[in-house]
Amino acid sequence: MKEYFNILTIIVKQACRINNSLVNGSFHTNSGKGGLLMNNNQSVQNPESQVPKTPQMNDRDFINDLLANEKYMTDSYSTALNEASNDVLYQDLLSIFTETQNMQRELYNFMFQHGWYKLESADTSKLQQSYQQFKGYSNQFPYGTSNLQ
Amino acid sequence: MQQQSTNITQNEIMTTPPVMVTVKDSLYFTDMLSWNLLAMKKAHFYAQNAQDPAIKAQIEKCGQMHQRHYERILQHFNDNSQASMQN
Repeated sequence: MKEYFNILTIIVKQACRINNSLVNGSFHTNSGKGGLLMNNNQSVQNPESQVPKTPQMNDRDFINDLLANEKYMTDSYSTALNEASNDVLYQDLLSIFTETQNMQRELYNFMFQHGWYKLESADTSKLQQSYQQFKGYSNQFPYGTSNLQ
Repeated sequence: MQQQSTNITQNEIMTTPPVMVTVKDSLYFTDMLSWNLLAMKKAHFYAQNAQDPAIKAQIEKCGQMHQRHYERILQHFNDNSQASMQN
């Protein structure tokens, strides 16, 4: 029953468009105390700020919901920008869009500072593999390769 | 440049649309105002219920931004009269 609830929680959170490997507070166990955590799996995370795990919304839920809201609004502004009639309107909306996008980033960084996001480094050999693969495609460039470093 | 908007002769070609509010613009205005009103209310409500002062401050900052945006978007309803005043 507990597991079933956890799965539902994950589904709900995904539905709310919460991504970037958000640490799930309900069953995440992290022994990292103090300082930036970088374990064997090359994951990067701050010490996690604790919040009450009750049915009531906590501080983390508040921030998280605002973050989701900023994401929704930047999507919507983007559509409005595509449809704006004149340049004066377009420029003002673009500036409002940028401020909203930056607020989204600010909330994300705020959550990262509180240890609510865990970042995982990609495997170096796989990165190299992809680099070589796509470097190989440069012979398909229509403008030559003279500008490549 | 936009001042030619209301006196368009057959010889003049508008390089960009004049300052005006189209039907579509106005529909987006009402949408955007609604999003921002909800966002500022929500942020303020959350801030009132937040425990950590740092979180409270961050949330209020977010809400205040949405109120500023509301005021800016609201002014665009007057773009028509501004354009006619310039001419």
